[in-house]
Amino acid sequence: MAAVGSGEVQKLAVLFERHHRGLFRYFVSMNRNRELSEDLVQDVFFRMLRYRASYDAQQSFTAWMYQIARNASVDQAQKRRGEVIGIDEFTEHKPDLSPGPEESAVRGQDLRLLRLALDRLPADKRELLVLSRFQGMKYDELSTVLGCEVGTVKVRVYRAMRALEQAYLTISGEKTA
Amino acid sequence: MNCDLARLILPEYLSQSLGESQELAFAAHLATCDACRAETERLGSLWRGLALLPDTLPEPGANVRDRFYESLAAYRHGLESAPKHGFKEKLAALWPKQAAFQMAISFALLVMGIGVGYEMQREKPVQPVVGSELAQLRGEVSNMRQMVALSLMQQQSAGERLRGVSWAYRVESTDTEVLSALLTTVNNDDSVNVRLSAVGALHAFGASPVTRAAIVQSIRKQTSPLVQIALIELLVDLKVTDAAPELKRLASDNTIDLSVRERANWALGKLLQ
Ligand SMILES: [Zn+2]
Repeated sequence: MAAVGSGEVQKLAVLFERHHRGLFRYFVSMNRNRELSEDLVQDVFFRMLRYRASYDAQQSFTAWMYQIARNASVDQAQKRRGEVIGIDEFTEHKPDLSPGPEESAVRGQDLRLLRLALDRLPADKRELLVLSRFQGMKYDELSTVLGCEVGTVKVRVYRAMRALEQAYLTISGEKTA
Repeated sequence: MNCDLARLILPEYLSQSLGESQELAFAAHLATCDACRAETERLGSLWRGLALLPDTLPEPGANVRDRFYESLAAYRHGLESAPKHGFKEKLAALWPKQAAFQMAISFALLVMGIGVGYEMQREKPVQPVVGSELAQLRGEVSNMRQMVALSLMQQQSAGERLRGVSWAYRVESTDTEVLSALLTTVNNDDSVNVRLSAVGALHAFGASPVTRAAIVQSIRKQTSPLVQIALIELLVDLKVTDAAPELKRLASDNTIDLSVRERANWALGKLLQ
């Protein structure tokens, strides 16, 4: 017990390897700033150590981690209140658009519009879709992360999808007009 | 099933997470309701599109991984090795509860281990690892950054100590342990580079009277004019007007390097205007 064995360190590394990309995508979807998001990823792993006592083994680990991620994000926003945060353009990163099994899904230009639509949503709706769609979170996990009832989550996800559709149609209209 | 209920479970239907009976009921409703069927198609297309969006996002930079492993390495350094000039004694001076500190980190990493194990095998109950020897541990690992900074600042290689100082930029400005380690570095580190960057890191701690007094006192302890000038400039940045008498003495002290005396004069002008 006196020293940290390599085993434990490896386990922490496993957590990092498994989750840091997902966390980064969550942050970057919310704040559109690469550097801030990288700092936040780092911060989450610090906080997991710091708040480890709050981890309840009955609870989903992912839900716990994203609770921490949200807090980190809120704290950072407060710290930087008044600062102008740069919005990075991510245009250089093109998705693989070769026809895949999801033939019916929106593609190419449509995907770009969809991302613009998502960016245009209010933060709470965007967050809900990012967590459920990018991170594959279930409703019960979302209810833990967001601190509301599962029933409320269902209503909010549906509303967020409708809002996304509205934003998508609006942007498509702007582009073709 | 009515339309309201169908809408509520639509996202679950799209993510194929409905139970069998609910899914059947939903499908039955779609068969009889054009509005819900159309909506399911429209939203379904967006829903599938959302899953493709993460690929359009940038990847985290390699520095994220570097920083993470650097901090882990620093832990192990601090815990497994005892580098030059009595690392443990120094650490004990910084933390009276050094043993608790070591245990706390072991404990923290163990808890993380539980997290991993739990994730890998959710169906299995988590084994309680917290034994009686750990249960008494209440020494809070308040801040990993603090530990990394402190640990790296004790290392043998100047490069690692420099990294330690760079970590000191990331701690809370109220962190007195890191502040005292920075002051020790400013006054005693063998490397001018490390001392210079520690002076830079003191800026964030400038609100504390301890810092302000320590900067003034440090100038005479320095052997390098570069560091002395950096300290004097820091006094100006932090508007330490109390430093004026000492700056006057420095400016007229012939044993001090000329460039330092000139800088002290310049600082006096700045601070007294
Ligand atoms: Zn209907």
